[in-house]
Amino acid sequence: MISFEFFGILSISLILYWLLPAQRYRNLLLTASSLLFIWLLDHQSLIVVLALTLFSYGMGQIIYRQKRSGWAHALGIVGVLSSLIFFKYLGFLAGITDSLYTFLEALPRFSVHHLLLPLGISYIVLKHISYLTDIKWKLVKPGNFLDFLLYSSLFTIFLAGPIERFERLSPQLKSPRIPFKRSDLELGSQRIALGLFKKLVIADWIGFFIADIWRNPDQYHPGLAVLALFGYAIQIYFDFAGYSDIAIGSSRLFGLKVMGNFQRPYLAPNISQFWRRWHISLSDFIRDYIFFPLSRLSSSKLWLLGFVPVIAMALCGIWHGAESRYLLWGIWHGLGLTVYQLFQQFKRRRIKRKGQRLNASLAVLAWPVTFMFVSLGWLSFRAFGLPVARHIFFSAEGLLAILLSFLLLIFIGRAISAFQSRISAKVRWRPAFTLYLLLICLICYSAMNTEFIYAAF
Amino acid sequence: MEEKLLDFIRDEFLEDPELEIDADTRLISAGIIDSFSLVSLQSYIEREFGKRIPAPRITAESFDTVRQMVQIIQQF
Repeated sequence: MISFEFFGILSISLILYWLLPAQRYRNLLLTASSLLFIWLLDHQSLIVVLALTLFSYGMGQIIYRQKRSGWAHALGIVGVLSSLIFFKYLGFLAGITDSLYTFLEALPRFSVHHLLLPLGISYIVLKHISYLTDIKWKLVKPGNFLDFLLYSSLFTIFLAGPIERFERLSPQLKSPRIPFKRSDLELGSQRIALGLFKKLVIADWIGFFIADIWRNPDQYHPGLAVLALFGYAIQIYFDFAGYSDIAIGSSRLFGLKVMGNFQRPYLAPNISQFWRRWHISLSDFIRDYIFFPLSRLSSSKLWLLGFVPVIAMALCGIWHGAESRYLLWGIWHGLGLTVYQLFQQFKRRRIKRKGQRLNASLAVLAWPVTFMFVSLGWLSFRAFGLPVARHIFFSAEGLLAILLSFLLLIFIGRAISAFQSRISAKVRWRPAFTLYLLLICLICYSAMNTEFIYAAF
Repeated sequence: MEEKLLDFIRDEFLEDPELEIDADTRLISAGIIDSFSLVSLQSYIEREFGKRIPAPRITAESFDTVRQMVQIIQQF
């Protein structure tokens, strides 16, 4: 994303885009730029994008025209998902059957050669599932092929989202002419500068300082391992939020409004709120197309509270990659949602039956508990996380460090809630500030070889 | 329709029975109802009014207040 290809294509297409008189020509230009961007990064990815787009558009037309569209919708989803399974999960499944083979000799054995994961495939597959399902639910019409191709390939959001919905992007592409506004250029460049700052200055430098602790935790004091754990929590947030800011800001330069992906997630007072603020486009997808449909399968409380969140979040985890660490991370969050929901029900019942409320002072624990829970989840998410976990939890010093940091978090939480509104009200953006940020980013970029964590998914 | 929805929300989801809500109270964005509650609300609407509201319409932008809920239900 922070590459010559991206910013080169962005600059040239931006000038040509605003010179063109009608939106349909601009859309053609953006489509050509997007396909060129994908082709420059990886020829194979371009073929996959075009094939998937043709397939999904065709299925969308069938679903739209059929009265009973259930079978066409199912076929479309299976087709789109097959591409993801083929490229992303076949090796993982082969590994499972290989290990089972040692116990059951009759099991068929197959070998899978290393397949290169086409860029952006995890994101395009989710976009296409939402497209096909929204047509089935009669929320959108299939639109014309060129708009759908642009939706599938738009280079500003191609590599790692946000996972925008066709329903939101399509009306913007259909407008006769998006008016040129100076404010769009200002807001777009500010967002890009802020994104670069988050990524290159905050995330990369934190990553630089904690990398060796994650690699060799035994060589460091357990207290430092706890710091590295929180450091990674902050790094992954600024890395992905930085990427999202660049993607949203770049789209805004073309007058296109793309949904936000983060809303101060680490300030969430509970795990349910966290998932309304973290990777919003993905959590909205999970909610709309997995959580709600799964919930409808049974009205039993055990199913709704015990199974649905765990299954939905396990799928969310495995979407990030074909590795058990992501699956474990998803299950961790699913269980967190279940426990939080049971706690909510307990509170409601207590008030209704006995008229008793929980002590209000317990509310100060809400934020630290949530932040600690999410941070512990990253132990599984990051490779080499388990040695760090062992180093922290199997030593008295590590446990003491966790306890002390929890107490510190309580004070930090109080301070944040006291100053939050005052700080956000006082910040005013000036053009010179954008330039300063860009200059700092340039210096940091030249000092570090940089990659986005989420572009790997 | 508004009254029925308000009664259901008061009975099922309100943590504080003394909290007063009306047709314009923000429910999702204020954290009064969450995704689990929305699943029950979706089933209630289907049972009571015979309308199935697709999940992408049940958002903080379009389904936040009872007044907005009524508008969405009438669209389907």
